[in-house]
Amino acid sequence: MTSGPARVTGATVEVDKVSKWFGQKVAVSDITCSFGTGITGLLGPNGAGKTTLLRMVTGLLAPSDGTIRVLDKDPRRHPGVYRDLALVPEEDAVYGFLTGREYVEYAAVLAGAPISSAADAIATVELEDAQHRPITGYSKGMRQRAKVAAALVSEPKVLVLDEPLNGTDPVQRAHLIAVFRDLAARGHTVIVSSHVLAEVERMADRVLAVVDGKLAAAGDVAAIRGAMSDIPYRVRIDTDLPRELAAALMSLDGIAGVAFEKGTLMVETTDLPGLGSSLPSLARSLDARVTQFEPEDESLESVFRYLVRRT
Amino acid sequence: MKAYLAMVRVSMRQLLGRKWVILIGLVALLPSVVMVVQTRVSAQGRLAAEFTQGPLLTLFFFVLPLTSILLGSLVLGEERRDGTLSFLVLRPRRREVITGAKLTAAWLAAWAISGLSGLLPAVILGFSANVWRMVLPVIVATGLSTLAYVGVFMAIGYLTRWAVLIGAGFLFFWETGIAFAADSLANISLFRIGLTAFAGMVSQAPALLDDAMGSLQPGAGGAIAKCLVIAAVSVGSISLLMRRRDLT
Repeated sequence: MTSGPARVTGATVEVDKVSKWFGQKVAVSDITCSFGTGITGLLGPNGAGKTTLLRMVTGLLAPSDGTIRVLDKDPRRHPGVYRDLALVPEEDAVYGFLTGREYVEYAAVLAGAPISSAADAIATVELEDAQHRPITGYSKGMRQRAKVAAALVSEPKVLVLDEPLNGTDPVQRAHLIAVFRDLAARGHTVIVSSHVLAEVERMADRVLAVVDGKLAAAGDVAAIRGAMSDIPYRVRIDTDLPRELAAALMSLDGIAGVAFEKGTLMVETTDLPGLGSSLPSLARSLDARVTQFEPEDESLESVFRYLVRRT
Repeated sequence: MKAYLAMVRVSMRQLLGRKWVILIGLVALLPSVVMVVQTRVSAQGRLAAEFTQGPLLTLFFFVLPLTSILLGSLVLGEERRDGTLSFLVLRPRRREVITGAKLTAAWLAAWAISGLSGLLPAVILGFSANVWRMVLPVIVATGLSTLAYVGVFMAIGYLTRWAVLIGAGFLFFWETGIAFAADSLANISLFRIGLTAFAGMVSQAPALLDDAMGSLQPGAGGAIAKCLVIAAVSVGSISLLMRRRDLT
């Protein structure tokens, strides 16, 4: 069941009644959905089954049940489909001894793309300055961009990104999002997974929410956010003046509760963007120093569970 | 072809770019050291026979298997465990091309080390006694045995992280132990494939080589055929596994 359209017309990727289990553990349960041109966000808490679903879409895992077609072909049977399908995996699996340039050129040669496309892909992710350094010395964000460049090098019609913004700084994040949006605008299918709603919201036109291996909701971002609107987020705030800040926060709209846990301020809010934008001025007025502002995964998970209950 | 060569090149860099390869390189000098000692203590007329004892057996009983088992086990096994294998699998290339390139890379890397390890004492023999007929056979023989080891241990390395340990057990308990004691079991020994080729190519192979070969007959043709079958079975079976099994 879904709360919105899980299928699209003119789909490039079709997932039909797909399940995957590892021994007794069911990772994905009876998911039917499809992906077309544009950016589709796959949203869900850690362990929800997003990576398993993406690995099945790219043919790295075989479905235990159901079928997957990418550009009308089964990726496990037709390696030729990888001319038009690329994955940026979540894990940091890169050849550390290669330079960034060598790594992307290697991807180009293997994909049958012209070697000159490596320079373009590196420029696209703004990795030119570090391209001649071994990847082993890269930061997490640089490795992430090198992986994205290696995927972009063949201009794939379908690009699958598993938590692509992990480890990137805000500037890199904004740039990568622009790259993905540009690709989508040019008619490519971009599937991007994330456990952070705000990230998906910035990227995706359409969202599929996955919880406990099931499709919990589907539709545009506004519909998903609307479905979540009455469930408060839990936010962790570290500050040197927790009590003063807690008292001030209670005056804000959308604050559902404030508590202290081991010296940390835990705030429940139904208006996360509002809290995010009000907090700096509030802290300044109190002369308080805020060292951490972090929505908890757990709260996001509870939102997803709520969605499952609703569907 | 371009993709195949790129995979071979990168895989060779991956295999030979490790610090412990220096240690393997030092171990690979052992046959040369033995040969140098023999040139000092043996009469010139006996040096050819001495070559097939100390240096050659050190090479085939120890240096070559050790090198080939290590590199063969790592070439796909480590990629699988590090997660980089998906980088190769998610390309428009047949699995046979990937495993074939991996086999070629590990073979060339192992052959480079073992071949040099055998070539150097053969050259020392050539300069010391003007006997050059060992050079080509030792290169061919090391090429064949390294291919056999790499083929077998690439498959084992893909399946389990214990491939090197299994290889050590196979070498020290089976090949140099049980198969030495029971002639009829010499067939299930990989370094003996190279030894039979060597004995087949060198006229007047000394009696000690006969002991090492067990029930096997000298001959390069049979050895080449065996190695090609091992390589083909290895590439075919791993490709099949890659297609059928999940890449986790």
